[in-house]
Amino acid sequence: MNTNPHLQDADAFYEQLLDAHADLSRDESELLNARLILLLANQIGDSAVLQACVAAARELPTTPV
Amino acid sequence: MSITTYREAALTNNYEFTGGGGYELPEYPFVEPPELHATTPVRHSVVIVGGGITGLTLACSLARLGVRAVLIDEDNTVGVKGASSRGICYTQKSLEIFERLGIFERIAAKGVQWSVGRTFAGDDEVYSFDLRQQGNFHLSSQPPFINIQQFYIEGFLVERTQELGVVELRWQNRLTGFEQNADFATLTVETPAGTYRLEAEHVIDATGSHSPLRKWLNVPFDSKRGDDRWCIADVRFTTHPPQERHTWIEAPFNENRAVWQHLMADDVWRIDYQMAPNADPEYVSREDVVRERLARQFGPDVEVEIVWVGPYAYRSECVHAMRHGRVYLMGDSAKVVSPFGARGGNTGVADADNLAWKLAAVLSGKADSALLDSYNDERLDAAQQNVCVTNRTARFLRPTDGTERLFRQAAIGLAKQHPFARALINTGRMAVANPYARSRACTYAPASAAGQSVQNVGFEWADGTRGDVNDLLNWAHGDLLVLVFGDLPAAALQRLRRLCLDSPVRSVQVLGASGAAQALEHVRDPQGHLKGACHVFGHAWALVRPDGYLAATGETINTQLVRAIERSLGLRGEPA
Repeated sequence: MNTNPHLQDADAFYEQLLDAHADLSRDESELLNARLILLLANQIGDSAVLQACVAAARELPTTPV
Repeated sequence: MSITTYREAALTNNYEFTGGGGYELPEYPFVEPPELHATTPVRHSVVIVGGGITGLTLACSLARLGVRAVLIDEDNTVGVKGASSRGICYTQKSLEIFERLGIFERIAAKGVQWSVGRTFAGDDEVYSFDLRQQGNFHLSSQPPFINIQQFYIEGFLVERTQELGVVELRWQNRLTGFEQNADFATLTVETPAGTYRLEAEHVIDATGSHSPLRKWLNVPFDSKRGDDRWCIADVRFTTHPPQERHTWIEAPFNENRAVWQHLMADDVWRIDYQMAPNADPEYVSREDVVRERLARQFGPDVEVEIVWVGPYAYRSECVHAMRHGRVYLMGDSAKVVSPFGARGGNTGVADADNLAWKLAAVLSGKADSALLDSYNDERLDAAQQNVCVTNRTARFLRPTDGTERLFRQAAIGLAKQHPFARALINTGRMAVANPYARSRACTYAPASAAGQSVQNVGFEWADGTRGDVNDLLNWAHGDLLVLVFGDLPAAALQRLRRLCLDSPVRSVQVLGASGAAQALEHVRDPQGHLKGACHVFGHAWALVRPDGYLAATGETINTQLVRAIERSLGLRGEPA
């Protein structure tokens, strides 16, 4: 799992992500996220990397940020 | 045996709400066992408890290998009285095993072959597969799948076992008591003519998912039970759906729940409907309700004859060990899975095939008794794989509300738009010959295919006629088989000859289209199918076991082969 900066344009991606959710209901937004996760997972493909990503995502912050 | 007629179903066993015409099953006579009047218990090498597909496969396999055994079954028939056929779908590996046992031709004549599967969501086809176009399915002498009612196979096994002699099948012999020590077990058996005791060095528990032995032995196991409910309708139509496996994840004609459409012998189709978790099993299996459901799917004009109807729930269970003293757990007594992917009955058949040659080798003094522990290494591994795979399918088909359902919705939607997501759609992963990754009887090495099954592919005998792997296994008759690919240096040839004299091993040289045969038995593999099935390249050897699994592969005839042979006979204790 690569935890170093790898995004070509982090700000643009973040903006796209937020824009994609604009005008969506909460249910639609959740569905979009699920679809996006599956699409992105297929780009990665590698089982070990995916497993590490899922594990890293599970490390939820203990205090609200 | 002929079971093409149907009769009133007796409402027995655990199928309380069953309906339909039912199947007529063959009945076998009760014969008074000689032990009834014996003053001291008779000791048998092998006693099999349970005459389902697993126990009967073992009985037939032992009979073929000339191992004396006794099978006891509490009933006087195959199948389950008043129930439907439990299993319906048999894999290529199972069919290869049945071919060795001599019943494949009957299964092929009675059953229905299929290789195309289609999965739908709503009105759209999400994906389809044709197994004949996939991998090496087409290279075996057996088709990818045959669908047939389980009791037909059981009936064929009974008749074949009786024909072979050697193994005694005892009907209406119910196990009521059990004890064991380090050397043997004592079984108490109840019959219509009275109760008797018999002793056994090896006891096979093939009693199924309600195993009494498992309870008596306090065998620990893991269990998982969900709220998924289904209702089977086995039917005959005036019009025929295609000879394909169709599955709906969300069927518009079943309130967007799943539906399975599968075919069987005698033109019977199994339509399996997913019900609401809180559905009343009595209501959903009522004939008028079933007929209405069928009409919604096939249209109001299709005439339907209902052969059998029954609601069911499933659970998954897996023991922690498949050997307990003198007792070997097998089939459903070792693990229970949901029906998705045909991983129940086929696993039982493979369990039996795995233990049969080991028992034969140990009882004839060719192998050390330590070999019997590799049964647990290999088949527990397989059981755990099958439980894992079927649980994943069950989770896809009955997601919990919330995130699990959300991800399924995402996967189905994407699968309609993009090929990659079809891999996520899980309506059952069809059973395979499970590989053995950690067996004490296999010799593992980098790039070796040890622990994998060898497909029943074809080759040419020295005289140009066609043979297949099963012919070689039959010829080896319970001994190990060393296939040597390519030509051999003189010294290697000598070594190989000596090996075959010293150990229960037979060797065959496998040549390409050309190449001079050396002094040993040889066959030709012009298309390289045999080599491919053994997963080797260039000059190589493959050590094939009587169950068609690779014990080891290597390059030169040296001590590595000698050690691999010893290990596959239980003569080397330490795991590879």
